[in-house]
Amino acid sequence: MADARLRDAMFHRIMRGLVDTGRAPHYAELARPLGLSVENARLLLHEVMQAYPIGWLHPETDFIASFPPLNNLPTQYRVTVGGRQIWFAQCGFEATSVTWLFPGEIVRVDAPCLDCGDPVTLEMRDGRITRVEPAGVIGHLNFGFGPSRGRPAFL
Amino acid sequence: MNLFRSEDHARRWPAFLPRSEEGFIALPDLAGFFATESRHHMLEPDYLSTWYPRRAAERRAYLEHIGKTTPFWLGTPDEASR
Repeated sequence: MADARLRDAMFHRIMRGLVDTGRAPHYAELARPLGLSVENARLLLHEVMQAYPIGWLHPETDFIASFPPLNNLPTQYRVTVGGRQIWFAQCGFEATSVTWLFPGEIVRVDAPCLDCGDPVTLEMRDGRITRVEPAGVIGHLNFGFGPSRGRPAFL
Repeated sequence: MNLFRSEDHARRWPAFLPRSEEGFIALPDLAGFFATESRHHMLEPDYLSTWYPRRAAERRAYLEHIGKTTPFWLGTPDEASR
C-alpha cells in the first residue's frame, strides 16, 4: 500500500492531465514522473481508484474510463472551454461541477436530450449558471443514490 | 444522472423509472449540490486525501438543506428493506 502522498500525486496528475489535454494519462506515462516502476504505477492506479470510487476503470482493464467530473470515455455531455471541445462530463449532474476545474472560464455543456435528441445547453462560470437552453432544463436521478438501489448512480 | 429539456421529456424517456418521480432536481439546486466546498479544491495536490473525504458529509448536508431527505436521495436503505 502506497502512502497518501503518492496517491495524492497520482490523482493530481490524472486530474491535471484531463484538464490540460482532455484525456487521462496512462499509468505507464505516470510511472517515471512519480519515481515508480511501471508495475508499481499500475498498482498505485488501482489504489487511487479504490480511494476515489466515484470514478472507475474500464472493466477487466487498467484503463481509466471515468474520473469525475470528467470522463475519459466519451459521453453525451460534451464540454467546451475557450472554444475547444475536448472534454466530456461523467454525467449530467457532474457536468455542473466541471466549472470548478476551469476557474474564470466559461464552461459550456452540450448534450442531446435522451427523450427527443434536441439540444440541452448549459453555460457556467465559477459555479454560476450564465446560460441555459431551453429554460426548463431539469436534472433527473433515475436510480437513486446508494448501493441499495443496485445500479450505478450515474445512469 | 441526466439533464433533460423538461420534466415531461424525462418522463417520456423509455428508461424512466416510476420511482424516479422523486428524482427531479432544479438546475440551480443541482449546481449548488455540485458546488460544495470540497469541489472547489479538485485541482489541489492534496485533494484526494484532504478534500474528497469531506464530500459525503457536504452532500448530505446540502440535500437536507434543499429538502431532499428521502432514502432515494440520501442513499440510505428503504424502509421496506430494513
